[in-house]
Amino acid sequence: MKKLFNLEKIKALSYPTFKTLMIIHFLLFFLVILVVSRAHFSIPGFSIKGLYQFPNIWQFFPWVASWFNLFLAIVIIVIVGNEFSFRTFRQNVIDGLSRNDLIRGKLILIFTIAVYTFIMVLLAVLIFGLINTKDLSFSVIFENSYLLLVYFVQAIGYMTLGLLISIILRNNGLSIIMFILYFFPIEPIIRVMFKAEARKFFPIKIISNLTPTPEFLTMASEKSYTNASGTSSLDFSEIGLLPEKLPVGITVLLAAGYIGFFIALSTMLLNKRNL
Amino acid sequence: METVLKINNLSKNYGNIQAIRNVSFEVKKGEVYGILGPNGSGKTTTLAVILGILNANGGDYQWFEKPFTKLARRRIGALIETPNFYPYLTLWENLKIVAKIKDAPDEDINHALGVANLLKRKHTNFGHLSLGMKQRMSMASVLIGNPEVLVLDEPTNGLDPEGFAEVRNIIQSQAKEGKTIIIASHILDEVEKVCSHVAILKSGELIANGRVGELLSSDETVFIQSERIDELTEILNDSELTSKVCMVENDLAVVLNTNFKSADLSKFCFEKGFTLSKIVVKKQSLEDQFLELVK
Repeated sequence: MKKLFNLEKIKALSYPTFKTLMIIHFLLFFLVILVVSRAHFSIPGFSIKGLYQFPNIWQFFPWVASWFNLFLAIVIIVIVGNEFSFRTFRQNVIDGLSRNDLIRGKLILIFTIAVYTFIMVLLAVLIFGLINTKDLSFSVIFENSYLLLVYFVQAIGYMTLGLLISIILRNNGLSIIMFILYFFPIEPIIRVMFKAEARKFFPIKIISNLTPTPEFLTMASEKSYTNASGTSSLDFSEIGLLPEKLPVGITVLLAAGYIGFFIALSTMLLNKRNL
Repeated sequence: METVLKINNLSKNYGNIQAIRNVSFEVKKGEVYGILGPNGSGKTTTLAVILGILNANGGDYQWFEKPFTKLARRRIGALIETPNFYPYLTLWENLKIVAKIKDAPDEDINHALGVANLLKRKHTNFGHLSLGMKQRMSMASVLIGNPEVLVLDEPTNGLDPEGFAEVRNIIQSQAKEGKTIIIASHILDEVEKVCSHVAILKSGELIANGRVGELLSSDETVFIQSERIDELTEILNDSELTSKVCMVENDLAVVLNTNFKSADLSKFCFEKGFTLSKIVVKKQSLEDQFLELVK
C-alpha cells in the first residue's frame, strides 16, 4: 500500500495539470464561500449569516464543495487516461505491478484526494463557523457534522465513476465528454423512461443527493416561493432544486453500493482487456 | 540447465485475425534468444503475451518453471515497442517509479543512467528527449533492479549508428554477465551478432528455431561451373544429393540436402564424368536462411 501511495505521489505531484486543477478547485471553493458571504438577499426567514454559523454551515459548505466534485472526477479521468495514452499502465505491469495493483493505486489516489477535500472543507467549516457563531457549545458545533462524511462518500462516488469511464474509453477527451453527458442528458433521459419510484435509485441521482440542497432553501421557500406580485408560486422540487430524497442513511448505503460496483467493474475490465 | 521461459501452443487473436498460432519454444538460462520475423509476424504480440500485457486466447507459458506472478516480473527487465514513460517527469523520476516497483535501491538509477550514457540528462523531462535518447532511456529502465532476464523488442529502433553500437555493447556485456536475453528484431545482422539461439516467426507461426549455428549450417549452397552445364543440371536435379538446383548468373547454384557436403557433390560430378572448373561453397548467412524460410 505504501509503495502504491508513493508511486501515485510521484506521478500526480509532478504533473502540472494535476496541480493546476487542484489549485483551481481550491480557489473556486473559497471564491464561492467568500462571494456568498458578502452577498445580500432579502428572503423572509433567511439570512446569509446563518449559513456561516453552526450547525447550518455543515450543510452549506459540503453542498458548495459538492459543486466542484465534477472537477475532481475530471482530475481522475485525466490521470487515468494519461496512463493509457502514455502506455505507462502497460509499462508498470511489465515492471512488476499486477493489474489489481494499478486499480489499487488509483483508488489510493482517489481516497487521498477525497481526504484532502474533506480536510479542506472541514477547516473552512471550523474557521468560518467559529468566527460567525456566537453561542458556541460542543453540541452546536458538531450537530450535523456527519454531513461532511457524506460529502466524502460523494467525492469518492464521483471519482470512482470517473475511473470507470476512463477505463472503458481510455481517452481523456472522450471520457470527459461522456462523463458530462452521462450527468446530462443520458441519465436524466433514462430516468424518465422509468416509473417515478425507480428514478431516485439511479447512480447520479443517488450520489448527487448525498449533499442535498441545504434546508435554508426549503425553509426560505416553505416548499414554494411566492413571487413578488404574489400571484403564482414556484415549487422548488418541481424544477429539480429540491429533489425527491431518500433518507440519508439509505442514500449513503446505496452510494456505497454504486461505488463498489464502479470499482468491481473497473477491476474486471482492466483484468479482462489488453493493456 | 534451468528453463527460464517455456511457451506451449500460445495463440492470440485480434478479432478474426490470428496474430500468433500455437507457438511453442523454450529459453534456457544464459541463452541470448532472438525472435525473428517480418513485420506483422507476431514477434511483439508473443512478447506482450508472455509479459502479461496481452491476454492469450490459447496455450500457456511459464517463467522460471512456475506460473507468472508479479514477483517473477521483477526478475525481468523488459522493453516492448516504444519507450513508455511519463513525458512530464524527469528521467530520474521515471526511473524512480521503476525502481520502486522493482524494490530496487536508488543507486541502481544512477548506474543505469550511466550505462545508457544519460547521466547528464537525469533532470531532463522524458518528453524533451530525442527518439534515440528515449530508446537508450528504455535500456536504462530495463537494467533497474539487476534483472536476471532481459526482454527487448526492437532495442535499436530509432538509433543512429553510434547508439546502435552502444546498445549492442550493452546487450553483449549483459550476456557476458550470464543474463538470459530475449530479443525480437527484424535486423538480422543485429541478431546474428548477439544471439546464440533464434526462433523465426512467419504469419504468427513458428517456422524454425534452434541454435544459430545449427540453423545456418543445415543447408550448404555450392556454386559450380562446368562444361555441358545443362546436362549436369538435369543429372543433379534427379540426384538425392540436392534439394534445389538453379542458375545464378553464370554459376550453377546447388543447394545440398542436409546429409551431404560439397565433397560429396565433387565426387558425384567426377563419377558422372564432369570436370568442375569452379566450386565455391557458400555458408548461408542468417539473412539468407531467414529470407528462404519466410519466402
